[in-house]
Amino acid sequence: MNWHKALLLFLWITPHVLLGVVAAVLYKRRLDREFPCFLAYVLCEIAGFIVLFTLYSIPGAGKQYAYAYSARLLLSIVLRFGVIDEVAKDLFCESQFLKVAAGRSLQCVTGLLLVMGVLLAVYAPGGNSARFTAGIFVVNRGAAMVQCGLLLALLLFSRFLGLSWRRPVFGIALGLAVLTSLDLATFALRAAFISEVARELLNLLITGTYLICVLIWIGYLLAPEFEPASLTVVPGDEVETWNKELKQFLRQ
Amino acid sequence: MISQPMIAPWIFVAVAFFALGIVVYVAIRSRMHRVDLEKAAQAFRSLDIDAFRNLVDSTEEAFLRDNLSPKKFREIKRQRAWAALLYAWEAGGAAMALAKIGQAAQRNSDPEIAASGVQLSENAFRLRLQSIGASLCLLTEILLPDLQSRTIPPLVDHYRRASETLLRLDRFSSGVRGLLRSKSA
Repeated sequence: MNWHKALLLFLWITPHVLLGVVAAVLYKRRLDREFPCFLAYVLCEIAGFIVLFTLYSIPGAGKQYAYAYSARLLLSIVLRFGVIDEVAKDLFCESQFLKVAAGRSLQCVTGLLLVMGVLLAVYAPGGNSARFTAGIFVVNRGAAMVQCGLLLALLLFSRFLGLSWRRPVFGIALGLAVLTSLDLATFALRAAFISEVARELLNLLITGTYLICVLIWIGYLLAPEFEPASLTVVPGDEVETWNKELKQFLRQ
Repeated sequence: MISQPMIAPWIFVAVAFFALGIVVYVAIRSRMHRVDLEKAAQAFRSLDIDAFRNLVDSTEEAFLRDNLSPKKFREIKRQRAWAALLYAWEAGGAAMALAKIGQAAQRNSDPEIAASGVQLSENAFRLRLQSIGASLCLLTEILLPDLQSRTIPPLVDHYRRASETLLRLDRFSSGVRGLLRSKSA
């Protein structure tokens, strides 16, 4: 076995083993109830890996491998949208005003990104669009663009509005944002270039990125949540006074 | 010459790395950035509300338009809009600080404090959005000084009330700082 293959196998197997840790942490910290889509995504990735690795080990199962890979990829795309929805709901859950205002803004952003994704799929279909797998890569490229744009919008909204993230949610969003942004780059290249060397290099990049994202998820899920503020820290009447002042302030 | 199918993937790569750069920047900033409430209060106190009112006053603008040459008027209007934009920017920063405090308070175990925190952060979010709207409006004036200005009176009053509100900050800031440190993501 050459070093390249050994490295590729290491980068392929390790993240999926670590995804088991992610699933266990989600279950142990009872986050699975808050983020069912994220848990489903993690479990789907693990199951998909087991199937793909089995097919990879069987000689002559190349066609089945390609179909299984495409099916897993499409399922992942759908589940990632679910995860982004969960992240957005958690981020805006504490404010009724933001639920409405940010919800509308996100719908506009989603619509715009979808139109862009479809237009780019039509006008920049990749260098080898006749092939089935290349078509899947173009679909994933478009989905990655929409998902990356949505996560970027969430991160920027939170920054502009001074929204506080809970650590696990921020970790999930951050990992997914890194993953989708690099997916956009790698799948755009995979859809266009078919040489063996390019394919192998991109495979290394994709698996390496995936490992980093899984480590981000584990890091943020295991990190302790900030301690709740003690009662003496914020005098209630002071907050109430501020609130009244601001309310008058906004009624103008 | 590079063909269109060859250019497209590299555009995607550039967009992807630009997005990744923003994500990493936001992640690093969110870890390092701590809300400095005293600084926010100081910035608010330094806002001269009467000067701001004058800067966005439409009658003042009409007077300048009637008495100055078009070129000079555009120049003066740009300067006035730029100064007003800085005011709006500072107000937005203070609204963000208030939003952080409100969110921290709403996670308090005391239901009364939590309820007040919810309302405080709601109002701070509205104020922040209004400050962004006002900033965009002022930015348009800087770029297109010949356009008739939109009046921004609510924002003027918002500034006055906000500066009054934030004057209370001195008594409160040490406790709030502790709270923010314990809550920032």
